[in-house]
Order: sequence, then structure tokens, then C-alpha cells
Amino acid sequence: MSDSSSTEYVTLVSNDGYEYKILRSAACIAGTIKKALDPHSGFLETTQNRVELPTINGVVLEKVCEYLYYHQKHAESKDVPDMDIQPELCLELLIAADYLDV
Amino acid sequence: MSGRRPRGAGIRGPHSALTDFLAANNISAQEIRDSYRQRVQQAEADVAQDATTTDNGEGPSNATDVEQVEEDKDDEEPAESSTMAAERSRKRKRNQEEAIAKIKKGKAAKKSKKSKKKKDSDDDSDFEDTLEMYRKAKPLPGQLENCELCEKRFTVTPYSKAGPGGGLLCTSCGKEMAKDAKATEKAKKPVVRKGRRKIESNRLDGSTFRGAKSLQQLCIEKLASHSEDIDEFGEMPAPIMNRLSEIFSKKRAMNSTTFKLFLQPDLDVVAIPEAAYLETEDFSQIFAVVPRIKELSLRNCCQFKDENVDYMMEKAKHLTDIQLLGANLISNDKWIDLFISRGKDLRSLKLEWLDAAFDDQAVEALVEFCPNIVRLKLERCKQIGADSIDAIARLEQLQHLTLRYQNDIPREKLANLILCVGDKLRTLCLEHFMNSEDAPTDDILIAIHDTCTSLGKLRFSENSECTDAGYVNLFTNWPNPPLHYIDLNSTRDVDNTAPEGPEDYPIGLASSGFTALMAHSGSKLQYLDISSCRHISQQTFTKIFNPSQTYPYLREVNLSFCPVVDTEVIAGIFRSCPMVKKVVTFGCFEVKDVDVPRDIVLIGAPKAQDAIEQFGQVFMDFQKDLRQEMGRNVPVLG
Repeated sequence: MSDSSSTEYVTLVSNDGYEYKILRSAACIAGTIKKALDPHSGFLETTQNRVELPTINGVVLEKVCEYLYYHQKHAESKDVPDMDIQPELCLELLIAADYLDV
Repeated sequence: MSGRRPRGAGIRGPHSALTDFLAANNISAQEIRDSYRQRVQQAEADVAQDATTTDNGEGPSNATDVEQVEEDKDDEEPAESSTMAAERSRKRKRNQEEAIAKIKKGKAAKKSKKSKKKKDSDDDSDFEDTLEMYRKAKPLPGQLENCELCEKRFTVTPYSKAGPGGGLLCTSCGKEMAKDAKATEKAKKPVVRKGRRKIESNRLDGSTFRGAKSLQQLCIEKLASHSEDIDEFGEMPAPIMNRLSEIFSKKRAMNSTTFKLFLQPDLDVVAIPEAAYLETEDFSQIFAVVPRIKELSLRNCCQFKDENVDYMMEKAKHLTDIQLLGANLISNDKWIDLFISRGKDLRSLKLEWLDAAFDDQAVEALVEFCPNIVRLKLERCKQIGADSIDAIARLEQLQHLTLRYQNDIPREKLANLILCVGDKLRTLCLEHFMNSEDAPTDDILIAIHDTCTSLGKLRFSENSECTDAGYVNLFTNWPNPPLHYIDLNSTRDVDNTAPEGPEDYPIGLASSGFTALMAHSGSKLQYLDISSCRHISQQTFTKIFNPSQTYPYLREVNLSFCPVVDTEVIAGIFRSCPMVKKVVTFGCFEVKDVDVPRDIVLIGAPKAQDAIEQFGQVFMDFQKDLRQEMGRNVPVLG
């Protein structure tokens, strides 16, 4: 992360226009976002520090962000309590998780 | 007010001072009278109802009793038998008695009033309140009082406890009461148990790792726990569908309802790892909904019957891969019909745990009509014997072969099978082949050595005949490239009188065989299982797993019940296998106090008192680069 253009925070944008600014380290837990922000990839995302996710809506993306921080927080601990997920969100979240590779 | 107005427009009689005063304060004699009459009527109606216990519909019809009637309707079924009615009246009387008793008791009755039937609410509450007013005041400290529970006389102190009825309790009863209260409070608090057994079970399944579960895993588990509420999955990627199916199966949530979620017309794979709750009709649904199915995998499909096979032959014209476990209701003839119908299209057949049908003739039909079989797995099928081995030897396209027979198989037949199909095989699994007649030889190993040249996975387990020299011979100058999967577990002599095995020639994989194995395949090996190979010496282990050697791909090692394995060997494995994720050492009593490196799981070390399994905590010096690219750690499944 020595690249000059890379910032501490990155922006994730949902398909309905919600923007979430989260720590780069947390965002990079998601494999897809990590690849998009990889400085060697030469993608547009790397210069803008902004990832648009046109398949994910705001509600789901919020939950994804919550998970990313939850994952970062518990990275070192064992027997982590499960994060609470509303059942009605599960299917969409699952598809988003598959897409984001988390 | 409005009630009085129509009486006269402007016409008024003589007024007393009291009437004027009441009117000025908005008090109407009419209203007071009405409400009194109402109450009297209601009380009468109650009595009448109790006596006759008539149907609810015939209850009092005046508007004031609507509430009452509604309440009764709530409580009781409208169409009730006379016995029930009698029961109800008895109940009501009992309630009334109880109510009176409570009122007598006093204070507590006021609290419980709400739970009581509201039936006699108005009158009673008035009565009760008046009663409350005239109650004797509680005795002050220093005075004497009878205990509410034991009726004993005692001196009241500021610490005297109040009883359930509102009175005071003597010291001993008070203590008793406090104890009970504490107990109920404890019971109310949810006991947070760690579920050690569950945790260990997860670890042995390979599903634990440091940190949080993946989001996908969380979602899938949540979905499985709400399996009844899901209407449809919608567009799901195939790997996720598969994972969902596995988790539903594991949680025993795969029933006739939830199973339909997994049937989508555009799928070509249906895999149900646990189909025990599914009925015959459900299995037919598969082929009705998913006619383009190519792969069918059903485990524990106990209700898969002949009619399902018929329907499958009729509908599923593209089926190439069939896996059925425990399909014991399919008759022999139906198996043969199936092979005839699928014929040249059938590529893969996996059958396990069949004991009622599926005999040598069925295997012969399979070989006859399905010559293009690439993958064949027959495990624990009780009816098949030596003739089926001869038949399988004629399958020319075979690449993956897994066999586990229940019956005795003459060794020459098995060796002949390997000689016939061996050169194309990429997977060869021979488990538990028994032969009580011939003298033990290494023919099988020789046959493998001579014919197999493209194996990637070899399992040759539970064998008590082949010698160490045989394994040396197999792995020396073998034209086959290095294997990635070797399982030679439980190759040893089983004889209670001579636990060390015969002295002149060691049975099973021993020191020199293991050395030859690692020399041949160590460079590509990913999975190694040599559990219960008891004759490998400690020196051999330390020589093979020493830091100067590297096994770059080795991810999982099982050394269980190799008694010589000690801490040094385990430490050696950690250093010489950079990719290793899981080391299993059940029954290795010399393994003590190992520092397990980060991201490696050591399972089964029996001397570890606190945990059967140990998570690596420390970064070892050889893990420097790992520390730098601390990405996510994916658990390795065996």
C-alpha cells in the first residue's frame, strides 16, 4: 500500500447510489474488491479509490460492509460469535458474497 | 345530557336545589340509575347462565353484555358437547371459589386479578377495594404475628420477608423462600455452554479456522436454519447450490418441501447428500422438473424404487453420471434395464451400500451395455463377488476405479483386473480386499507397478498381506509420475499373539517402503495417510521429515497410531512441509507440548489436556513470508 494514490479509505457504491466509505484494509477482505483495487491491475478503481458494485443494492452492501469490519475485528480470535443476519436478507447477501468472494 | 334533552323542549317541572346542583356538576340521576340497572341485570344473567349452561348464542342480548358474550366466545368452542359444557360450569364455579379465596387472602389477589377470568370483574373489584380498605394494617417490627406459611407465631423484625399471599413469614420460612427465589433466578438465566463437543466435531470436520466464518458460510447456515420459510432460491450459482444442499443435508433439513428448492429446470446436476427423508414421489419429481439432468447423486436414497428407475429412463435422456447410496429397493432386473437404457451414454456409476440386489449379473450387464464407463465405484455391495471382477476387467475406458468388496476375492482375479485396466487408470482405490485361501504375496503391488503409469491417486488400505519389500518394489523405478494422493492406511499384520508382526519379513508399509514412497512421490504429494502403519521407525520419520527436505505441496498428513511419532517428527513436518495445514496424530503418545505454527491444525495429540486440537499461535522463523502476505486463510478440507 505504498502507492501514492492509494488512500486509507475507499468508497463502495451500491446500484441505488448509496456510498460507503470504509477502511481499505477491510474492503480488501473481499477478494473481488481486492483485485479491483490491486495497484498492479491498472483498473480505473485504483486511481479513484472507488468501487462501483452495480449488482448489489444499498441494504445488502451495508450488511457486507458490516461483515467486512466484523471479519477484520475477529481476524485474530478463535470461536468467533456469528454475525447476525436477517433471514430475509440472506439470499441476496449470499449472492453478493459469492460475487465479492467473501 | 343527551338522554335528558328529548324529554321536554323548554318545558320544565319544579326544580329542587339538589337537582340544580347535580345538573351544574354534570351528574345525572338517570345515568346512575341506568348503570345500576345494568349491573344488576348482568349479575342476574351470569347466574342464569351458570345454572342453565346454555349455548353462547342464547346469551343475554342487551348491548351491555356484548363484551361478556365475546369473551365467552374466545374462551370456548361455539359447538361444544354437553359434557364440555358441564365441565365448563364446574370450572367456572371453581374459578369463583378461587376468586373468593383470593380476595380473602387480600393483597395478592389484586395482582392476579388480571390473569383471572374477567367475568365478575366490576362487582368484585369494588368489593375487593372496600375489603382492602378495612384490612388490618401489617404489624410493625417488634410485634408478634402468625407466619403466613407455617402459621407459627413469631416476632416481626425489619428483615421479615413477605409471603406469597402478602403476609409476613417467620425466619425459617423466609430463608426457604429466598432460596427458592434464587434457584428460579438461576434457572431463568440461559446457561452459556461452550459446546466443547460441537467445537471438536467441527474441528475434525476440518471446518474450523482462525477468525470469522466467511460471509457465504454465514448466509448458508442462516438459510438452512430457516429452511421452512424459503419459497425459492432464484438464480443461484451452481457451487452455492451444491454447498446449500450439503448444509441442508447435514442439518437434516432436506425433506419433501425443502428438497424442491433444489430442483430447477435449467440445472443439469442434482446432488442430495442426505436423501433419507425423501419419498418415492419426490424422486420422481427430480426427473419431471429437471429433464435435462446429467448428473444425479443421491445418498441414503432408501425410497428410490423400481418405479423411479422406470421414470428416470423415460425422462432423463441426458443422464451420464449416476451415484446412488443405499438404494436397496431397486431390483436386480431394474438395474439391468437401467444399464440397457442408458447404454453408451453412461460415463460414471457409483453405487454403495447395496445388500439386497445388484449381483454379478448386473455388473456383467453394466459392462456389456455401458462400455464407455470412465468412473466406477462399487463399495460395500454384498451380492457381488469374483465374477464381477472379471467383468470389470473388460471395461476399456475406465480411468477411475474404486472397489471395496465384502466377499473374498481370489488374488489372481484382482491382479488380472489391474493388468487389464491399469494402464489408463488415474485413480485406483482398493480397500479391504480379503483373501483367506491363497498364501500372502505381493502380486497386487507388482501388478500395479507393472501396469499403472498414469495414476494420481492411490488408495490401498486395510491390507494385511503385502510386505514392506512389496511397497519398496512398487515405488522403486515406477514409470508412473509422482502421485498427489496416497492412502496406505492400516497395512499391517493383524495378529493378537504377535503384535510386532512376523519377524522375518515385515508386513505392511514399513521403514524402507515409506522411504521409497516419499522418494517417488514426495515432490508432488498433497495428501498422505499412513495411519496404523506401525512398523515405520522413528529414525525413518526424522530422516524423511527433516528441515533439509522439502515437500512443497503436502497439505494434509495423517500419522495416527504410528506409535513412534513424537514431538520431533511433528516439528520436522512443520518445517519441511511449507503448505501443510492439517496434521492428524491420534494415538501418537509421544507427541507432547508442540509449538504449533500459525495456520496449522494439529489434531488428536492425546497428551494435550485442554484441547484435542491445537491451533498454531506463533510465527515460526520459516514463516516470514507468510507473515508479510497475511491474506485470508482458507481451511483445507481433506
